Amino acid sequence: MKKWMIFLAGLCAMLAAGAGTCLAAEAGGSAASSGAAAAPLWLCIPFAGLLLCIAVLPLVKAEWWEEHQPLVVGLWSILFIVPFALTFGAGTALETVLECLVNDYLTFIVLLFGLFCVTGNITMEGDLAGSPRINVGLLALGTLLSSWIGTTGASMLMVRPVIKMNSWRKRKSHIMVFFIFLISNIGGCLTPIGDPPLLMGFMRGVPFFWSMHLLPVFVFNMLVLLFVFYWLDRRAYRKDIAEGHKPDISKPGTEIKLSGLHNLIFVVMIVAAVILSGTLPSLPAFLNAEGHVRGIHLFGEVTLTYPAVIEIAIILLAAFLSFRTTDKEIRRKNHFTWGAIREVAVLFVGIFITMQPALMILKAKGAGLGITEPFQMFWVTGALSSFLDNTPTYLVFLTTAGSLGFTEGIATTLGMVSVPVLTAISCGAVFMGANTYIGNAPNFMVKAISDENGIRMPSFFGYLAWSLAFLIPVFVLDMLLFFL
Amino acid sequence: MKYSQEMLKELAERIYDLDAEVYAQLGSSLGRVFNRDREGCVNELVNLMNDRWKAHQVRSELALISNMARTVSDKEMRKMIMREYNSILKEVMELPTSFGDGDILNPEMASLNTLNLKKRFGEKDHLIICIGRTYGSGGNEIGFKLADALKMNYYDAEIFSEVLKRLEAEKDAVQDRAGYDHVMKPGDAPRAFEAAARMTIKERIRQFSRYHGLSKRDAVFFNQSDLICDMAKREDFIVMGRCADQILTNNRIPHVSIFITAPLEQRIRRIMQIHSEMPLKQVRQTVKKADRQHTRYYHYFTGKKWGDAVNYDLCINSAAYGIHRSVDFILKMLEQ
Repeated sequence: MKKWMIFLAGLCAMLAAGAGTCLAAEAGGSAASSGAAAAPLWLCIPFAGLLLCIAVLPLVKAEWWEEHQPLVVGLWSILFIVPFALTFGAGTALETVLECLVNDYLTFIVLLFGLFCVTGNITMEGDLAGSPRINVGLLALGTLLSSWIGTTGASMLMVRPVIKMNSWRKRKSHIMVFFIFLISNIGGCLTPIGDPPLLMGFMRGVPFFWSMHLLPVFVFNMLVLLFVFYWLDRRAYRKDIAEGHKPDISKPGTEIKLSGLHNLIFVVMIVAAVILSGTLPSLPAFLNAEGHVRGIHLFGEVTLTYPAVIEIAIILLAAFLSFRTTDKEIRRKNHFTWGAIREVAVLFVGIFITMQPALMILKAKGAGLGITEPFQMFWVTGALSSFLDNTPTYLVFLTTAGSLGFTEGIATTLGMVSVPVLTAISCGAVFMGANTYIGNAPNFMVKAISDENGIRMPSFFGYLAWSLAFLIPVFVLDMLLFFL
Repeated sequence: MKYSQEMLKELAERIYDLDAEVYAQLGSSLGRVFNRDREGCVNELVNLMNDRWKAHQVRSELALISNMARTVSDKEMRKMIMREYNSILKEVMELPTSFGDGDILNPEMASLNTLNLKKRFGEKDHLIICIGRTYGSGGNEIGFKLADALKMNYYDAEIFSEVLKRLEAEKDAVQDRAGYDHVMKPGDAPRAFEAAARMTIKERIRQFSRYHGLSKRDAVFFNQSDLICDMAKREDFIVMGRCADQILTNNRIPHVSIFITAPLEQRIRRIMQIHSEMPLKQVRQTVKKADRQHTRYYHYFTGKKWGDAVNYDLCINSAAYGIHRSVDFILKMLEQ
């Protein structure tokens, strides 16, 4: 009975949170004279339903959920596709689903898969003991790496060493929560390689190194969060010691041995593929007479572009070479399994399909929300990026900003955008992906890998509580210091 | 079905063994759910099962094991492990929500109470006496005389020297003056539990490697813990301070814990008699500083309040008995 009460309470909360953002968009949009077609709000129910299942079922029916995830995802996807087809026609429904699967999901999951495979072949052995200062160092290192090898790359590269060094600890879920905050999200704001929304901005004319303007916000957030983390971790560390947990430091001197380091070449290969996917579409060789990117035509207006094919081919080749050239004992030591990537692949295919109506509403009505100030851009882009894919969200608000008629700022293909507004949109899209497990792909990967390695990660709502307690206050400070 | 403590222990052992089996099958080096010694983890699990408010934690730990078990690649082995997991889970779910009968008695604490001293130590156990003491209370002398009377080894600074040897640290870099017969003076090398002095980057890197990335204080403490536990397997002894009572408790090694103190004025008077060259003000400051440091040190590593009676078997006001009669008093208690 209690479990069902939780389920029902969760249902209300999720419908309010998920569809609420769409309602806001629709209400704002009604005043606008947008000509774009918007999906009816009720089509967002499958998206809210799927989020609810991700949030609540692991709590109330964990084993059942583990075994039936594909079924649940399939069910909610059908509950979206069938009404959508009845409303807009089967052709449009097929085109919409194919578009999101081919152009968004495919590259997303291949990138994740590639990095997951390659980094799973690098292992670290040694007796460095996970203590507050070591953990602060590791999180700082990962955060700085994120902008140069992507949040996903840095997350996958750092997650196992962090888990290993803290394997002697009992209280370690907070370490992984802050890992997600910093390495999987905030760290990616300095370059277009860091996070897909910034790559999208780069493809729309934002200079490659412009994101370095976000350095003050980045440094501020990193320092505040690391400071808070240090004290939280210190408290947990002392409790662990008081209970008799201790690391094995019986040998004098620290030994650290890294194996499979040649896989870093494949990491670089994957990063290069991501950069290529952002640069190739603007080259004349990849454009047809109408100015569209060339590719393999699939259905309607859905085309798998050649730059995407090249990106996918390079990433898969890197993953293949990584597996061929690495001793499987390394993967065994890393506890490499397909569980985490399978879970993310299954859940996110459903998320990508069912969130289409919400994105359609956002695209159609986003410009009419009356959002013009940097702080508004920061919060709205951020709030929507917490639940929706942050790349289209970023694009919607970049388009909105481009149409505001700024005369000074960054010249993009979408129009002139003032620096404070672009900063706010970029920060909102990148930072607030950390608010929920589904806000950014590496979040869920880190959670899944932690779950598999004896770390009791917070539930969906538990994680949300961590965000509300530690991230939102930092974002409020960001607003006061940088966006007002 | 009526559950006895033996049945709970057996169930806890099965949970621990399941975790060990899963970890062995995976061959992972990323850590496991129960990362301490078998006995400790089993006891912890039994306590969780006994405690109505913490019973859900057992299910939670089991869920973590099952997360790992599902990733075992050998199908047959996975099937076997999951069968055992399901059987354990079923038993855990059937456990009553409380085993309490309204008594305030904590069986674990009761087995360690002073009236139970003889039962506390099994045939294979060594007699270990942990003495905590305030500066100037004569605790060191009491400990030493007690060791003499009981023909046991007495450990104080020796433990620290041994730990430094293990860590291959330079003796001059850090000194242990937990023995209170030395009076701290300006320019003395820092105590083990004092904040480190300013270091160059090179020194920091060397320390980082030597102490496995831990602070010197923590590394010394962890090594002291290992050493005290090793010694407890070999011999009877008396150990002064070093949070030995908590270390032994955490490792379920039977011991007797004693705290010796005396009123502040009495301690100051005694130190002034021993160190007649020191002015009253300096002695007062030294005593207070030493108390503060020990309180902080003990609290940092144990989470408990230093000198709080609930943490010891026996607390003695040495001013009420004097050194010799305090020794007699403890001996009488031990002979009971």
